[in-house]
Amino acid sequence: MAGDVLVIAEHWKGRPEAVTFQLIAKGREIADARRASLGVLVLGHDIGELAADLAGTGVDAVFVVDHRALGNAACGLLAEAAVASLREIAPALTLVGFTLVGMELAPAIATRLGVAAMTNCVNVECVDGEIVVAKPVYDGALHARVIFDRDAPALVALQAGATPTLPQPARAALVRALALDIESMPRRGEIVQFIEEPIGDVDIAKADIIVSAGRGVGDASKLPMIEACAKALGGLMGCSRPLVDQGWLPRERQVGASGKTVTPKIYIACGISGASQHLAGMSGAKMIVAINKDPNAPIFQVAHYGIVGDLFEIVPELTAQAKKS
Amino acid sequence: MKIVVCCKAVPGAVTDVAVETRGDALRFRSQFQSMNECDEYAMEEAVVLKRLYGGEIIALTIGGVSTQEILYTAAAKGADRIVRVDALAQDPRAASIVLAAALKTLAADLVLTGTQSRDSLSSFVGVATAQRLDVPFAFAVTAIEKDGDDAIKVRKELGGGRSADVRLPLPALVCVQTGIQPLNYVPPARLMRARQQRPQSLSLADLGLTLADIAPRGYRIASVAPPARAAGAQILSGPPAEAVRALLAKMAEAG
Ligand SMILES: Cc1cc2nc3c(=O)[nH]c(=O)nc-3n(C[C@H](O)[C@H](O)[C@H](O)COP(=O)(O)OP(=O)(O)OC[C@H]3O[C@@H](n4cnc5c(N)ncnc54)[C@H](O)[C@@H]3O)c2cc1C
Repeated sequence: MAGDVLVIAEHWKGRPEAVTFQLIAKGREIADARRASLGVLVLGHDIGELAADLAGTGVDAVFVVDHRALGNAACGLLAEAAVASLREIAPALTLVGFTLVGMELAPAIATRLGVAAMTNCVNVECVDGEIVVAKPVYDGALHARVIFDRDAPALVALQAGATPTLPQPARAALVRALALDIESMPRRGEIVQFIEEPIGDVDIAKADIIVSAGRGVGDASKLPMIEACAKALGGLMGCSRPLVDQGWLPRERQVGASGKTVTPKIYIACGISGASQHLAGMSGAKMIVAINKDPNAPIFQVAHYGIVGDLFEIVPELTAQAKKS
Repeated sequence: MKIVVCCKAVPGAVTDVAVETRGDALRFRSQFQSMNECDEYAMEEAVVLKRLYGGEIIALTIGGVSTQEILYTAAAKGADRIVRVDALAQDPRAASIVLAAALKTLAADLVLTGTQSRDSLSSFVGVATAQRLDVPFAFAVTAIEKDGDDAIKVRKELGGGRSADVRLPLPALVCVQTGIQPLNYVPPARLMRARQQRPQSLSLADLGLTLADIAPRGYRIASVAPPARAAGAQILSGPPAEAVRALLAKMAEAG
């Protein structure tokens, strides 16, 4: 039907990833606004049960491509299978997560199908029948509002955590296996093995309070100051990715899309700008505090409380007062 | 191994950002441009791969004459040849069309790109370029090694602490993740020397392309502005001691 919305499901070990439910919630909203239907596409191997589970998440249809080769396929083949599926389903709008997996899949699909695509979006909505997205540009200090051409198919990669996971009432969903000729598709590489990083010595995901250091700390010698603050508050120290890239802290401390997802009671971001890949790992924290000298830093868009100032003044003060109380 | 590194010149702090009249691009003012940080990592990795396996490194960019600066940086870091396609391609799809056309003339074994540019923040161009070239690809790669004569093995991030080792037949395109190698400082003297290298300049016509081929399609930019702050976001002002006292009170309330 014209205007139909399709979500491409992301899953791991037979379970849908959280972003899939967020996309379904968004997809439902848009499909309802356009009086269209919402489908979800699952690609993988041995995913019958997963498909049945997804049928109860408020979608109208589940499209399944279950093939042995998709279990360890490099993205090339997954994209190929997605492209063939989209040709058959012909949705007006396709939603993908802007996750490590979606960052690889979205451009591959959009390019092969020749559809207009917007990635790293913080929102997608239907306004007067047009699909409108918001996405950060220039380090995230600004958001561009982009409107897709009416009546042309579009693909949107939405940031994980940008929209809440609203559980949808189940509908009578149709589960349909798509008969694709996977064997004859080009494979373009093969996954030799999957690796799951061990939890590590410190599990920041278990902390109630996380004080995270960003590139604003300047250099590794300043990290004890952050750690002392975390300790005074009874929490643990986390960090943004550049600190791990520079070898200042081990990967187990990293919060974000390519690090850990944390949902502490309190998350204090010190000298962190708030890039979408960082937010993906902490936007679910109950209370977010930002300490940053740049009042336009994107982190203030998600923070509940903010202090605009020099972290070298604020953090020691916080440590001192926390110790006293 | 013949390696092409795609690198982008990105503006530093921007001001006066506005939508072009036709809604197809953004204009802005900026004092300087530098090599996109993610692409610097791709460049460093190319240098290491050349040291291990021999071959040649070509740095490729798209942009006006001013973007040549970053090609000198690439040369100072170790690029043997530098190539600039004289075109403007803010739209990621357009950039992938131009890069793919240029890469066809360069016949690389391995193409390296970064994962994201700090201005567009789209993470789109690398993989889209691979699709246009019809070559195997991998995104967010943290290690690359040769696997026989005509393949590489890469480790790529999948998110959530997971990764995968992937075997890709060559030629291939790899979007390099930050942190793959340490970033090396370029001493000014080396940069001065690198400036003697003459960039090869290609026009769209040289690549068989027209402006119409790279015109953004399928969307229009309606506006660009600082986003609204989340409801309830509250700035605690005053001197540090006061702001911190207010913050601790809020934290105590939250439990
Ligand atoms: C595929 C992919 C995956 C990624 N995964 C992750 C991830 O898992 N986690 C992650 O964090 N990032 C990730 N990133 C990187 C992300 O895009 C950002 O580059 C990164 O989060 C920026 O880190 P930062 O905020 O610490 O540094 P910056 O963006 O450099 O920000 C530093 C901030 O510090 C402030 N500051 C400076 N000095 C002071 C001072 N004295 N006092 C107060 N404030 C100060 C500045 O105003 C600025 O806002 C990923 C990127 C890609 C492309």
